[in-house]
Amino acid sequence: MANCAAGADVTRVWDLGVRMFHWLAVAAVATALLTGLFGPPNLLGIHLAAGAALGGLVAFRMLWGFMGPTYARFSSFPVHLTAIDADIAGLLAGRRPRYRGHNPLGSLMALALLAIISLSVMTGVITLGGVDKQGPLAFAMTYVSGKAAQSLHLALAYGLLALIAGHLLGVAYESNQAGANLPLAMITGKKAASATDHAARPAKAKPLLAGLCVLILMAVAAHQIMALSSRPALGVPAGPLDPTYVEECGSCHMAYPPSLAPSPRWIAIMDGLADHFGEDASIEPGLASRISAYLTMNAAEKWDTRAAHELQGSNPQDPLRLTATPFWTRMHGGIPESVFKSRAVGARGACEKCHSDASMGRFDPQDINIPERASQ
Amino acid sequence: MKATGCRLISIVILARALAPATAGESPKPVLDFYASEAKAADPGFTGFSAERGEHLFKTNFSTGKPDTPSCTTCHTTDARKVGQTRAGKDIEPMAASTNPKRYSDQAKAEKWFGRNCNNVLGRDCTATEKGDFITFMLTQ
Repeated sequence: MANCAAGADVTRVWDLGVRMFHWLAVAAVATALLTGLFGPPNLLGIHLAAGAALGGLVAFRMLWGFMGPTYARFSSFPVHLTAIDADIAGLLAGRRPRYRGHNPLGSLMALALLAIISLSVMTGVITLGGVDKQGPLAFAMTYVSGKAAQSLHLALAYGLLALIAGHLLGVAYESNQAGANLPLAMITGKKAASATDHAARPAKAKPLLAGLCVLILMAVAAHQIMALSSRPALGVPAGPLDPTYVEECGSCHMAYPPSLAPSPRWIAIMDGLADHFGEDASIEPGLASRISAYLTMNAAEKWDTRAAHELQGSNPQDPLRLTATPFWTRMHGGIPESVFKSRAVGARGACEKCHSDASMGRFDPQDINIPERASQ
Repeated sequence: MKATGCRLISIVILARALAPATAGESPKPVLDFYASEAKAADPGFTGFSAERGEHLFKTNFSTGKPDTPSCTTCHTTDARKVGQTRAGKDIEPMAASTNPKRYSDQAKAEKWFGRNCNNVLGRDCTATEKGDFITFMLTQ
């Protein structure tokens, strides 16, 4: 208490662990929300880093809730019904009971924020595994389950935004009414105190134990995540394309991985090579039937990637063209025509000019690099 | 005895002369093939012309498929430059000086004349046209 120079009216409430957690979580949540809701897809890497950081931060905060000092502990959160009732009644009457740590509604908010962030991280990992075929669950998650998780992930993001708004309102209200500068308290850790404050039963922090737990947890998690991530992704084509196919079909356009069209479409394309999207691309019949067999055997129906699923939808006006499919059109909607016409890209169908992993049938958001924009 | 020896030697020489050609290092066998075809079609054939080849390369025919009115649509008017297909893929220069492997593989030449004469002209090219085209590209 030697550092409490201001006297008895100021008391240390938030320890360094709580404060660090709070502001790092603020930065990570802001980054995750901004990149997730507004960012171009190639910022997925930053979004994932923010998500991973939040996973670690929440894990630490949970541990600290049991091993930290008095007001870091969940046991100090007055979340029993009588306290909540009294808090709401006091709020309505304009005379709220004072708490040295979190008040009852503030405690509920803190717990809700922790819960929603945890759920966001979990649904994010499932989305990453099923939709993007990346990360620790890529080996196990189907595209369909990834899509379901993605809807939840988005709903949770809006829920989180709503909670943040509520949190800020609560802080503003409390700072105004009680005259306690709560944002400053979360920086300095010190809060104005009064003798009538509800104080929690003092608890001693166990930083060594908590540090050890965090280290072990981090090591196990990192090891597991790396081990799981190195497993082959579920339903993703592996290995190189057939060399004959690449030689015959890759002279005029990129050799599209067979997973990018369903087999009836491949058959129709191979049957119409004499007028192949406006050009004669005839191949000697024996060779053509070999290529046809390769394409249909490895067509979209056989795979579980996002492209394989979504590109099966076709445009009745132009049913064979990859770049006419509703999915392709939707995904490339914001890109100006001049980009496709530029010398660096050349055409809509030149996937590999912007997607460096296109020839593998993967279209990882992180691997998008639009040349025209990069040079601007 | 002497005659068979001579024949053997000439076969060896012939084989040596042909071997690199089939491996695709010189355009001569391909040109010779088109010359013999041209002669068969027209006994008055006197040889290929780079000028006629240039005309073929640069003329806007618009008699084939609508998207490919001329060779230069994809190959650009400068045969030494890298072209680009309608699907955005780079095409190595057509000029033999910048791309020595060109015109040495009979099957390849036939495949691309077969497709692209139809694309640009709407018909097969004659042996004379093919020879003229290659002759022009050899001067580039």
